[in-house]
Amino acid sequence: LPRARLVTLPIAALALAGCGSKQDALDAHSKAARGISSLWWSMLAGSSLALSIVALVLLLAWVRRRKPGVPGVRDGDRAAWGVVVGLGLVVPIVVLSALFLFANIFLVRDTTLPTASAAAADRPTLTIRVIGHQFWWEVRYPGTRAVTANEIHIPARTNVQVLLYTRDVIHSFWVPELNKKVDLIPEQTNRLLLYADKPGRYRGQCAEFCGLQHAHMGMYVYADPPATFKQWLARESQPAPRAGSQLFVDKCGSCHTIRGTAASTHVGPDLTHVGSRSSLAALTIPNSTERMREWIRDPQRLKPGSLMPAVELTGTQVRRLVAYLEARK
Amino acid sequence: VFFAAGGIEALLMRTQLAVPNNNVLGPNTYDQLFTMHGLTMIFWFIIPMTTGAFGNYLIPLMIGARDMAFPRMNALSFWIFAASGIFVYAGLFLGSGPNAGWFDYVPLANRLYDPGRNIEFYSLGLLFNSIASTLTAANFIVTIFKFRAPGMSFNRIPLFCFAFLAASFGLLFALPSLSVDLIYLFLDRNVGTWFFTPAHGGSTLLWQHLFWFFGHPEVYILIVPAFGIATEIIPAFTQRKMIAFPLVAVAELLVVFVGFGVWAHHMFADGIPTTTLVFFAGATAMVVIPSTIQVWAWCSTIFTGLPRFKTPLLFIVGFILFFVTGGLTGVMFIAIPFTQQVTDTYFVVAHFHYIIFGAAVFPIFGGMYYWFPKVTGRMYFERPGQISFWLIFVGTNLLFFPMHIVGLLGMPRRVYTYPGGMGWTAYNVAETVGGFLTLAGILVLFGNLVVSYRRGAPAGPDPWHGPTLEWSIPSPPPEFNFAVIPKVTSAYPNWDEADRAEDARRLAAGEGVLDLGHEQMQSTPVDAYPDEVVRMPHSSPWPIVLALCLSGMFAVLTIEKYGVASVFAVLVGLSLLAWHADEPRTLEPPARGRPAATWGMATFIAAEAALFAMMVGTYFYLRFKNLHWPPPGIPEPKLLVPLVLLGVLLASAVPMQLAYRAARVGQVARARLLVLAALIVQAGYFAMEVSLYRDDLHRFTPQSHAYGSIYYVLLGAAHAHVAIGLLLNGWLLTKLAGGSTRYRLNALQAIALYWVAVGVITIVATLTVLSPAL
Repeated sequence: LPRARLVTLPIAALALAGCGSKQDALDAHSKAARGISSLWWSMLAGSSLALSIVALVLLLAWVRRRKPGVPGVRDGDRAAWGVVVGLGLVVPIVVLSALFLFANIFLVRDTTLPTASAAAADRPTLTIRVIGHQFWWEVRYPGTRAVTANEIHIPARTNVQVLLYTRDVIHSFWVPELNKKVDLIPEQTNRLLLYADKPGRYRGQCAEFCGLQHAHMGMYVYADPPATFKQWLARESQPAPRAGSQLFVDKCGSCHTIRGTAASTHVGPDLTHVGSRSSLAALTIPNSTERMREWIRDPQRLKPGSLMPAVELTGTQVRRLVAYLEARK
Repeated sequence: VFFAAGGIEALLMRTQLAVPNNNVLGPNTYDQLFTMHGLTMIFWFIIPMTTGAFGNYLIPLMIGARDMAFPRMNALSFWIFAASGIFVYAGLFLGSGPNAGWFDYVPLANRLYDPGRNIEFYSLGLLFNSIASTLTAANFIVTIFKFRAPGMSFNRIPLFCFAFLAASFGLLFALPSLSVDLIYLFLDRNVGTWFFTPAHGGSTLLWQHLFWFFGHPEVYILIVPAFGIATEIIPAFTQRKMIAFPLVAVAELLVVFVGFGVWAHHMFADGIPTTTLVFFAGATAMVVIPSTIQVWAWCSTIFTGLPRFKTPLLFIVGFILFFVTGGLTGVMFIAIPFTQQVTDTYFVVAHFHYIIFGAAVFPIFGGMYYWFPKVTGRMYFERPGQISFWLIFVGTNLLFFPMHIVGLLGMPRRVYTYPGGMGWTAYNVAETVGGFLTLAGILVLFGNLVVSYRRGAPAGPDPWHGPTLEWSIPSPPPEFNFAVIPKVTSAYPNWDEADRAEDARRLAAGEGVLDLGHEQMQSTPVDAYPDEVVRMPHSSPWPIVLALCLSGMFAVLTIEKYGVASVFAVLVGLSLLAWHADEPRTLEPPARGRPAATWGMATFIAAEAALFAMMVGTYFYLRFKNLHWPPPGIPEPKLLVPLVLLGVLLASAVPMQLAYRAARVGQVARARLLVLAALIVQAGYFAMEVSLYRDDLHRFTPQSHAYGSIYYVLLGAAHAHVAIGLLLNGWLLTKLAGGSTRYRLNALQAIALYWVAVGVITIVATLTVLSPAL
């Protein structure tokens, strides 16, 4: 039995890993990301060709090194000048112009939000706000009361406009399988197009160095079938049942919110529906009973430099808090 | 030493990243390490190694000069560089090393998010270092312009020197942008100005613009000297002149020039409108062309020559391959959407390490082997040399190539750890192995050189049949470099056997021989006609004293002891005075051309002009970012008095010029009187301006709004230049009181030029701050 487990464990891990836990820019799941990745493959082909030519010339020079009788080229020989001017000046101009036009005039359109003059069908039908914090993502759905963190739900096959803000330093919003990255800058509101071809989970991560825990500022984008998304949004917009936990309000309420209770501060993530999320602390750990207890007992051990302090709690209190939070579906 | 420190930092980071969820280093240590690795390798290894070591040693040898134009300034630059390195590392060992990346973006680097002293070590350390680099750059420019052997006209300057000229101009114009940025950062953190705080009219993107306006030319400053080394090693080992010599020379200069127009391609993910980005993508594309020209010039020279693949040429071949690979990934960044996908990932880390390690450091290694016989008089051992090449070549490829792949697989930069299951692990293991392989190769390299220094075979003056003048003299070169002024009729003078025979004949006949060591020929900048013979200064203890005083000043600034810092500033001034107390007392008549001192002043003025251009740029950038300028509650500036004062200051440049004319024809008393008149007018101007400045401070302060911040900093900088000019004039008067010498005449000419520049700078600065009322 132990041997069988040894074999199956990595396989299970691989199977899990294969499902929406990578962030592979070449595994594109939208028109924008596909355009970028196919551009990459063609640039790679062109570059390989160019590098091979240079390497070949140097290799040939090595082969014919010091061979007497090979005629040297006289200084100022026109053929050699021709090579320098032709391959060094003319060919690059042609290639660069082609690349420039293709990428920056045509492809760039697929990766940006459609302009106001675009066909109505292309215009984004949903806008969400993402607010960067050290070191997690706050997600809001304008027009509803839904506030969540680190796990963004969008409808699949729909153009979504993401408005990007930061509460503190510069972050960068990046879900490579869906689109390019855009920074979150204090003095301006940036926008990004999100679109997913098919339902699934797509991983993303902060891409601009933002402090001690920049490495643990991940997020998931869940593209749901539109009907499922509607249900999710409706549930997410609802407050928690009236019966709050006084313990939570006392111990956690100075930073966190659970809508419908007295805990209503927006320093840390909104925990109204934390039980429905798959991970904690911006994808640092999975959302399980054991890990959540560990996290609450000593956040600095799991995520040193995180702004969440270790609150003085007895073992019973930790268990009660975790049970309460897990019920916030 | 600093290379070793930067390398150890890199290996520590690679050890931490070898496997997922590793915990060898915490995030705090890791962040300081990656910041220091970047800073060290750029500011305390490559720049000092290329411009410092290679340039200082080789440029005088290649142009047939006996020393650099300003040998004492050179010593000063060296000591400042060493002290600034110790300063920054002191921060690291005190546990508060710079920790916000070498790019140090605000607001992360603002006091609010980085309350320790870490960023003071960053800003002051780099400011301190940039003084050293600016001095060296000015020294190179004047040396190459004025100290070339007669006959070495502009089209016969070795490509190596062209490259260093390009890099020096790059440093001279790029560093002020960084300095201005660092000053703003220091003031924001310690004085309470608001340059980078949007809520008070500042801008976080301002930091990025100024930083990258320096940061991208900086990349070319790092790599152009490597081009220069390559263009020396290739002719030597193929025994043929570089193909397309003039094109290559122009390309070296163009790379740096165009490099000033591409900075925003580091900011493609900032949300700047695409129409603006397209411009920068286009400029980036233009940089490619001078680069490909050079690649094909190198390749076709190697191909058509008869290459001997000795260690130096192997490193150059490695360099070409790395440069082409890194260049091709660089070409990809022209594609805006692709850049926006891979920027801030390991793909970019791979790209610039191919350039900075592969293309900038490989020629340094090759150059170390190539010039080793010249410097030490002994040959290195060839077999271990080739082994070191292959170890480093394979190691660096293993180290950096997989970074392309993990970058595309989504691994961001500057993460101290990463989760498993992302498909990154195997590549990271390979990178770490490659890192240690590279280390092994570098150890073989230095081991080889150390052993060769003791036991290598005697090299003789010219083991490679090298093309340039350094190979025409004994190895190691005698203290005075050239016994006779060499005759130059081409860019490869050591291959002109007739000219060398002529040198030997003149030496035997005693023609064109200069007094050992302390006499030096100066020539005209373009055609290198002989101009005059000057005496070079003796060695002096004052540069190191001055560097020590500056270190003291920067050290106490870190702990906000402004009073003590100003004491040190006074000491700096006093050691400058002492430095110049020892002056030559000769009375040679003035030459027709401008002396090196004036050229030195001109380069200094160029750097100052760049500094003010950046501040004026800041003013208008902030103005366009703000709806109300000046903001509500701050009155518009008054026009009349400042404009009148401006006219007064401008008028005072005239008596300075007249004083120089007078002194030139020997009317010292008249010159003294004119300088005194100028000094009185200027002092009056200064007093009025200071009182206006203080009046303004009652109405609003640098802490009221970003408007106040830039207003006072810009005006303050202009006034500081006037104040320095007053001190210079005072010093000049005391000197002239003792009669005129050639040295004093040169000083007068340079200071008169300074006042013209101060006038122009003050006009621009004053009109800028008055612009809301114009």
